[in-house]
Amino acid sequence: MRVEYINPFVEAAFNILKEVVDSDIKRGELYLKSTSQPVLGVAAIVGLAGDVEGRVLFDMNEATALAIAGQMNGEELSAFDDLAKATITELANMITAQAVTKLHELGFTFDLTPPAIFTGENMEVTDAGVEALIVPIELSQGKMEINVAVRER
Amino acid sequence: MKNKQDFPNINERTPEGQKPDGSKYRVLIVDDSMFVTKQISQILTSEGFDVIGTASDGQEGLDMYKEQYPNVDLVTMDITMPKMDGVTALEKIIEFDKDASVIMISALGKQDLVKKSLLIGAKNYIVKPLDRAKVLERILMSIK
Repeated sequence: MRVEYINPFVEAAFNILKEVVDSDIKRGELYLKSTSQPVLGVAAIVGLAGDVEGRVLFDMNEATALAIAGQMNGEELSAFDDLAKATITELANMITAQAVTKLHELGFTFDLTPPAIFTGENMEVTDAGVEALIVPIELSQGKMEINVAVRER
Repeated sequence: MKNKQDFPNINERTPEGQKPDGSKYRVLIVDDSMFVTKQISQILTSEGFDVIGTASDGQEGLDMYKEQYPNVDLVTMDITMPKMDGVTALEKIIEFDKDASVIMISALGKQDLVKKSLLIGAKNYIVKPLDRAKVLERILMSIK
């Protein structure tokens, strides 16, 4: 997978998180995985279809998701309820929209699915025939992984 | 000794959501995201606007507009929604009331739909992420 696909997502995540979560953000080392990967507990998934196809996961544990959603809502949230899910969905929406605008400017055209949220323990994700690039992001609320698995059609 | 009343607060101002006659601007929020609805609602109510209803898709927004007409001063309309999208709902609201004030709420990258909305008759648009200053500025430009 070409690394230029993931950079817009990482840049967009930095920009949006800085704006809406106002967090101290650090980027970890990017790594590549071709086997199944564990999902941390709360994952927002967005599908891409067009010149490039695949999916992007924004993956974090529940405590981190709650802390981020709480910060975005300006109040402490005690359970990962509908409001918390809507908040993380919107976060994924905003990051993806900014990344895709950049990719469109680079000449790639494709459509997106609305984000879906998966929650649960002991989940893993497997992408048939495509490697996933993962960028860990450290926030004061915890760790989020941006996990991109796309290929050119 | 002088007390507080003898020193009127020069910083006191009329909330932005208040009309010159003292009544409140009435706003209908149409958005499928509970988070965005809450965010817009909090910003507006803190400035004295009256949020008279919230709808989670275009059809529900259109129905609410018709029910509340002529007591709606402004509609905030998300572009991407299930059942009926925001551009179609805008079109139908303008068909029903050509003077309707509708402001579109858009994710980045929807310029074509924003342009289409402005041609149909939307008064303005706001690109997410939303912040208080941006929301108030665009809304005030649309209603005052």
